Amino acid sequence: MVTEKEKKTRGQVLEEWKEFVWNPRTREFMGRTGTSWAFILLFYLVFYAFLTALFTLTMWVMLQTLSDHIPTYQDQLATPGLMIRPKTENLEVLVNLSDSQSWKKHVEILDKFLEPYNDSIQAQKNDVCRPGHYYEQPDNGVLNYPKRACQFNRTQLGDCSGLSDPTHYGYSTGQPCVFIKMNRVINFYAGANQTMNVTCVGKRNEDAQNLGDFAMFPANGNIDLMYYPYYGKKFHVNYTQPLVAVKFMNVTPNVEVNVECRINAVNIATDDERDKFAGRVAFKLRIVKI
Amino acid sequence: MDQEKSEICNIKVNGTNFEKVDNEMAKKDDSKEKKKLSKRTLKKEHQKELKKDLDLNDHKISTKELEEKYGTSIIQGLTSTRAAEVLARDGLNVLTPFKDTPKIIKFFKQMVGGFSSLLWAGAILCFIAYVIEFSKDNSVSMDNLYLGVVLIIVVILTGMFAYYQEAKSTNIIASFSKMIPRKALVIRDGEKREIPAEELVVGDIVEIKGGDQIPADIRILDSQGCKVDNSSLTGESEPQTRSCHFTHENPLETKNIGFYSTTCLEGTATGIVINTGDRTIIGRIASLASSVGQEKTPIAIEIEHFVHIVAGVAVSIGIVFFIIAICMKYRVLDAVVFLIGIILANVPEGLVAAVTVSLSLTAKRMAKKNCLVKNLEAVETLGSTSIICSDKTGTLTQNRMTVAHLWFDNQIYRADTSEDQKAQSFDQSSATWASLFNIVTLCNRAEFGAGQENVSIMKKIVIGDASETALLKFSGIITDDVIGKRKRNPKVAEIPFNSVNKFQLSIHETDDPNDKRFLLVMKGAPERILEKCSTIMINGQEQPLDESAREAFQTAYMELGGLGERVLGFCHLYLPEDEFPDTYSFDIETMNFPTSDLCFVGLISLIDPPRSTVPDAVIKCRSAGIKVIMVTGDHPITAKAIARSVGIISANSETVEDIAKRLKIPVEQVNKREAKAAVVSGMELKEMSPEQLDELLKNHSEIVFARTSPQQKLIIVEGCQRQDAIVAVTGDGVNDSPALKKANIGIAMGFAGSDAAKNAADMVLLDDNFSSIVTGIEEGRLIFDNMKKIIAFTLTKNIAELCPFLIFIIAGVPLPIGTIAILFIDLGTDVIPSIALAYEKAESDIMNRKPRHKKKDRLVNHQLALYSYLQIGILQSVGGFFAYFTVYAVQGFRPERLLYLRPFWEDNTFNDLEDSYGQEWTKYQRKYLEWTGYTAYFVAVMVQQIADVIIRKTRINSIFQQGLFRNKYIWVGIASQIIIAVILSCGLGSITALNFTTLRIQYWFVAVPYAIIIWLYDEFRKLLVRQYPGSWWDNNMYY
Repeated sequence: MVTEKEKKTRGQVLEEWKEFVWNPRTREFMGRTGTSWAFILLFYLVFYAFLTALFTLTMWVMLQTLSDHIPTYQDQLATPGLMIRPKTENLEVLVNLSDSQSWKKHVEILDKFLEPYNDSIQAQKNDVCRPGHYYEQPDNGVLNYPKRACQFNRTQLGDCSGLSDPTHYGYSTGQPCVFIKMNRVINFYAGANQTMNVTCVGKRNEDAQNLGDFAMFPANGNIDLMYYPYYGKKFHVNYTQPLVAVKFMNVTPNVEVNVECRINAVNIATDDERDKFAGRVAFKLRIVKI
Repeated sequence: MDQEKSEICNIKVNGTNFEKVDNEMAKKDDSKEKKKLSKRTLKKEHQKELKKDLDLNDHKISTKELEEKYGTSIIQGLTSTRAAEVLARDGLNVLTPFKDTPKIIKFFKQMVGGFSSLLWAGAILCFIAYVIEFSKDNSVSMDNLYLGVVLIIVVILTGMFAYYQEAKSTNIIASFSKMIPRKALVIRDGEKREIPAEELVVGDIVEIKGGDQIPADIRILDSQGCKVDNSSLTGESEPQTRSCHFTHENPLETKNIGFYSTTCLEGTATGIVINTGDRTIIGRIASLASSVGQEKTPIAIEIEHFVHIVAGVAVSIGIVFFIIAICMKYRVLDAVVFLIGIILANVPEGLVAAVTVSLSLTAKRMAKKNCLVKNLEAVETLGSTSIICSDKTGTLTQNRMTVAHLWFDNQIYRADTSEDQKAQSFDQSSATWASLFNIVTLCNRAEFGAGQENVSIMKKIVIGDASETALLKFSGIITDDVIGKRKRNPKVAEIPFNSVNKFQLSIHETDDPNDKRFLLVMKGAPERILEKCSTIMINGQEQPLDESAREAFQTAYMELGGLGERVLGFCHLYLPEDEFPDTYSFDIETMNFPTSDLCFVGLISLIDPPRSTVPDAVIKCRSAGIKVIMVTGDHPITAKAIARSVGIISANSETVEDIAKRLKIPVEQVNKREAKAAVVSGMELKEMSPEQLDELLKNHSEIVFARTSPQQKLIIVEGCQRQDAIVAVTGDGVNDSPALKKANIGIAMGFAGSDAAKNAADMVLLDDNFSSIVTGIEEGRLIFDNMKKIIAFTLTKNIAELCPFLIFIIAGVPLPIGTIAILFIDLGTDVIPSIALAYEKAESDIMNRKPRHKKKDRLVNHQLALYSYLQIGILQSVGGFFAYFTVYAVQGFRPERLLYLRPFWEDNTFNDLEDSYGQEWTKYQRKYLEWTGYTAYFVAVMVQQIADVIIRKTRINSIFQQGLFRNKYIWVGIASQIIIAVILSCGLGSITALNFTTLRIQYWFVAVPYAIIIWLYDEFRKLLVRQYPGSWWDNNMYY
């Protein structure tokens, strides 16, 4: 089976291309005349306008089915994750005592992060709630909006509150505070009516030795039930999530210490193989001292 | 006899043709690029050698000189040592098989051709990306590595698949090797011995006898009644005598050369080997056939064109977005990963498999209809055929002589020439007919072969020549008891037919017990028979043969002859009892009986009648815009008669000669443009320049080439190809093979074809029937249409796979669909539906339109590409994005939150990313949501592809015209789509490497409105195309 293969010279190919791009005989640009181009562009304009309308319509219908304050499903959020502040690159808290710039940025982050927790603001906006109990605000048929939040005062963080603290959360002295927070999940009853707390350990044996002593604020790393459940950004307007501060008193300097903190709560699993942040958080601590 | 002579002329033509071919090839080579210079000179030298070798003079020189030349002795043969030397010098006496590309090379070709190279590039980019990432941070995810491996597996698997399919369908053994006789009787060291034929060397003295294949080219030294069948070499079917006399300058024509691989039919001969192996005539034809290069089939060109389009789109979009990504300050590595995604999304990985499978399905279907396709791509080539050059004998005709007309009682009667001849409707009551029938039955040496009592007459094997067979079967049809009749009329003397007498005579006793006379019956060339007659039988009465009777005879003879039929005259004579008593001894040497003043009884004309299915097939070809050209070695009159009777020359069209005859003017004065038909003989063709041939082919729609040699076929084929036609050629002889190779599609005959022809052909007709070609064409056209549908179907979702990457780069949303899911669409859900489209029935009568123009009617035209890419493809993407946004929104990420979220979304340390509701997500929770997004997008594309496969069932008709359920395979395909998707989502959702998750039931239906829109839109498109043919819409929307 053979067909004549016509080898074209490079010049011919170029010539053909030129003619394709602009054919002066038929006045065609890229194989179409001006009117043809106008038609085809008009067609696609109309077609895409139709598609945009279709997309907009379907999206609008879909969004109408959504509630404003609670997502339809929370399939992935059965276990809230833990996270630290300051959130640093690679979750490594580096404190170089001879270089104040290395920790100043952490301090700035923390200052900003803790500002809503100032007692004055809390007193002004939030309620004092009964500890040890969930602060439930059901709608009961009538939309209960906005919902109130419980006070979490900055002073509860003790040495880590950073209030009139010349050591800047301990960063200037090599005794840094790291704040642990649990991810907000709407309508999640953390702890299932039992007390829960955060504990931290060195990941491996040597880490445990290098970690040294640490103090937890509030005491014992407790998280009170009254901060739950969370009702969502839109309803729970001034919600301030509870924090646990950990102050590392005498970390062995110049080594990297792997710390892992986890929440001890009945209904929060902390052993998810795939999600390394489910109910726990691992970070590195490094104090550089010359 | 006349026939034989011109056959010889043809062979002369053959000799020159070889040179012509060589020249042509050299010319073609000239035009090739400079790069191939060295190759070219080599090839040229090879061809020069080929030409030179034809200047064989061994047939001219005396045996003495021969003995000297080859250092042999006619009596003693070669010495063993000399033979060994020559064997060492010349090599074995075998034909080098066609240089087949080694299997491993074919395999690798499958793996680097087409899209594979793009995928390889993708895989390499994956590895590079992985290595770079790994060198920076060895805890990096293995995703890129996995993807690279998966891509390579995909390439290898599809390559293997394509290779397997091709190997399966081209599994036809190189047949030249089969033609080699195994043993040869040779005289060496003065004694006869049998040696393997491949050990023969030049100078050997060989003996051949009837039934042997001639083991090498030999010069005949001595022969006793040796006849050979040269049909495989020259196409002549008549046995040729071989003798030791030098009769012609041309080695191909002289009688003292026996050719390698031809068969000795009868007699014995001794000869000296003058050529062995590839240097034999047949070896040279074989190498000529293999040096007519094998190039791309139309469908291969189309697919290449398509690959170019897709690859062009892939690479240009890839590069554009690579640049955009760089400009948007993505890391180079990320940009490379995007590039891989874009390439992957653009390449229809499953298409090669789908196309191969649908071609082989069609090939299977064609095999059922007696077209055995050797080369898969030939399936489609047949469909685009615009000219068929068909043999006459066996292809258009039944390949057996049959009684066509009878003339007695001054009247011509038609006999039934259909395949079973059941309906003999002429008047059988006349006494003349009884006499004629007597002669036909008795004056016949043919006999039925033994042991065929239960075989129907037409199928019985007959021993005897073609005409006698025809007459025997004819009388067998009239009476069941031919044998009995012969027994009752025993033969007492007989003169068989010979070319000098041109008659056959036998003398019988009669079966009438009261009539003791002998009956002399005779048949032969009508004019010779008439010479011997003085009376003629009219209505059973002998009447004197006067002028008017002679004139009637002449008219009838001319008329029947003019029909291209072979006419035989019949006469008889009752020998007077007194002169020839019972005991009379007839002597055929002295002819002691009268052979003149006989009584003329009638004429019977014979023809090889057309197959009954052929006229319809020719009409079909005509309405399909296919030109049928008859190429035959037969006489122009016969050729023209057959051409007329099958419709190759239609009833109302005339040749130049016809017009001249009608207008009674000389041929030269006729305006050639007026003649639609033309009958061209080989001699005329030989005189023609290529330009004249082009003119002939252009100006006449109905052409018959008569008296052509198989080699001239090559010239005709080339002429047709110069008209930009796609040419199908039928052939059966060995020397048809260059033409078969040269043709776009070579069709060999299954019964009559030589192995060499079958080897060179792309297709074998199992029943040798022309109408099978036409069914083949129908299938070929159908598969072309269906291939369009398959490609349109496959291309559509590429946009739906591509858009996610583009939006991902530009709008910074989480990735809507992953590369693995893309591969699962391309190689999973979409494969069976696309194959199912190959089973789609034709939308309208595909045999009512012109053959496709190979340069204008492309498989993938811009309408198809635009409609698939920019309309349905974009629609699908929108549907996919709708599903994607829905899944994110119901879980908490509203669309506006997703915009430009990517840097945070993909940050591994960002484990408290806030959604639209204030909830915080860890990285893994987001990742899982992303996979759910992939699954939703995947399912959306799958659902819309269901709509796509349904709309692709037709290109112009409404789905309801076509019938939703006529093609059941479509539903199998749709079921497979759903099942695969369900398995992936539910069953394999737990395997994280595949990145599928279990989707809530309702999200399977998110894209359904879009699927319905796709279907409605396409119905709307088809409606407008049907309503306004030729409109702007038709021109732009019909693919």
